Amino acid sequence: MKEVKIYSDGRVVIDGTETIYEQKGMALLEHLYRTEVRDYPKFFKMDALCKLGFLAVELLVRDEKDRFTPREDRAVILFGKSGPLCNDRNYQATVADFPSPSLFVYTLANIVTGEIAIRNKYKGESSFFVMSEKDEKTMKNTLEEAFQDPMTAEAVTGWINCMEENDFEAEIKIIVK
Amino acid sequence: MELTETLKAQIIEALNLDGMTPEDIDSSAPLFGDEGLGLDSIDALELILLMEKNYGIKLKNPAEGKEIFKSVETMASYIEKNRTK
Amino acid sequence: MTKVYRKSDEVLTPLGMGTEENFRAVLEGRSQLRLHEGTFGVKEPFFASLFDRDAIMAEALKKGIEGYSFFETIMILTADSAISKAGISASSPDTVFVFSTIKGNVDALEKGSEDVLLSSSAERVSRYFGNPNSPITVSNACISGLAALIQGQRILRGSRARNVVVVGAEVQSKFIVTGFQSLKALSPEQCKPFDAGRQGLNLGEAAAAMVLSTDPSDWELVEGAVRNDANHISGPSRTGEGSYNCLRAVVQDKEELAFISAHGTSTAYNDEMESIAIERAGLLDIPVGALKGYYGHTMGAAGILETAISMKAVENGTVIATRGFTGNLGVSRPVKVSNENGKTTRQAFVKLLSGFGGVNAALLCRRGGGR
Repeated sequence: MKEVKIYSDGRVVIDGTETIYEQKGMALLEHLYRTEVRDYPKFFKMDALCKLGFLAVELLVRDEKDRFTPREDRAVILFGKSGPLCNDRNYQATVADFPSPSLFVYTLANIVTGEIAIRNKYKGESSFFVMSEKDEKTMKNTLEEAFQDPMTAEAVTGWINCMEENDFEAEIKIIVK
Repeated sequence: MELTETLKAQIIEALNLDGMTPEDIDSSAPLFGDEGLGLDSIDALELILLMEKNYGIKLKNPAEGKEIFKSVETMASYIEKNRTK
Repeated sequence: MTKVYRKSDEVLTPLGMGTEENFRAVLEGRSQLRLHEGTFGVKEPFFASLFDRDAIMAEALKKGIEGYSFFETIMILTADSAISKAGISASSPDTVFVFSTIKGNVDALEKGSEDVLLSSSAERVSRYFGNPNSPITVSNACISGLAALIQGQRILRGSRARNVVVVGAEVQSKFIVTGFQSLKALSPEQCKPFDAGRQGLNLGEAAAAMVLSTDPSDWELVEGAVRNDANHISGPSRTGEGSYNCLRAVVQDKEELAFISAHGTSTAYNDEMESIAIERAGLLDIPVGALKGYYGHTMGAAGILETAISMKAVENGTVIATRGFTGNLGVSRPVKVSNENGKTTRQAFVKLLSGFGGVNAALLCRRGGGR
């Protein structure tokens, strides 16, 4: 089982090995992109939630062989409390004068699952579930239930939350049926 | 500064084109499609907004954008002709 | 695999309260879609199907429902009615709530309140019913309603509950309307699904609830699927990839299908994409219809509302006319869309939806399987 955790306080944990970065919050995400990814400028158009989810999955799957071969058997199933709250505030600030289309498209909770699916060519199920706290039991049940779909053999799954642009956490792993 | 140069800076800011400088954008290169900047439909809407915000140009029909946004040059010449601010 | 059935349903829309009343209104070709000027403080006029909020809040107050936002109130009203029709105990640990919405209480953000979390609304509504389980909200863009029904089906198949209450709702706001305006996605007139003259979508408000159970009853939720296009966050796949993959996953015997209830938002790309997916799935001979011309796009409610109305249509032997369609097909594949109510004796249908984030969903429902 591989797991990646990213916290706004600068901690990044990959398969249990923790690195503490000087950079915090959004600066941490930008730093991770510049040092670990580099080849996906669309990153800069994303909202905080999408940047966070995108990076966690990058760190999770970057060493996989044939990682960009389209596949339908890997689902993206994420859970969180905030959804796109941060970006909702950003979009709301533009509503009075010039409502921004590029901010509006990120006001949907599941766009983060879409960004991950697009980058990695995952054509399977993608779902975002909102819950009031990180309830491991409900998350586990929901994931097991997702495996009822005969196409779904594995899932990129976990908790992703971003209450403020500098207050976020992602704990994402790959679970095989 | 010349309009094309100002426009390049505004495009970079409006579209979050990270790490790019106005020098990186060729004035005559296509903005959309696989060559050039490779912008998409949401970017096109942001460009329409950019013209409204900065130059007071209201594009009634987004389809017109296709001709106007061919390159920075075509965009600049459209703005020169139609700007109200 | 355990079979899952619809025990009851209820819908509340600008056309009225009640699935039956709504179906009658639809058969008569009625709609509350109209031009709104200045509503929600939106500068540009927009075409939409909106509730009379004061009337509904007054109705709720009579029932003792007080202290909830409008969004939460319409969810409580529809869920309450569906629950009492089903005769289940909402407060039982064997009953699980699944919610569906895209923007929930987002209008509270305009007023400076941060009480907009979808999870907070879900907690308040399930607490109203005294339900002890922690509720989950599916927020999967425009497919949310179908994804929630599919989630309900899975919970029952996994034996996590005896009954699942699926509740979806969407209310409109300056936030959502200006957002779709900024995307140039709204039609300046009545939407025209699959029509050559279509100019975009109309937004709508609705709430819908469905109680699912393993107890056999008229309608079975046979198979559902959710698939991503992996193409673009706001544009549908040009090849209909995700919708096609959904149809491939759920359709078992096309000869049983009375119709496909399409997403049919009336945007240029969506309707075209669906026609391609339907052709790729070999379903061009099945009637196709869309309900957006009656209700507008009710977002998080659409999957449940449109499934409930489609069930009524099959029971009534009707393929519902696509309101707004003029007869001039405007998609590249010859899908069978009609602007007149048709007849059918078939007992199953597929509900199809697509949304931002590249998501697509399909659900196959069949009548009579449980008897």
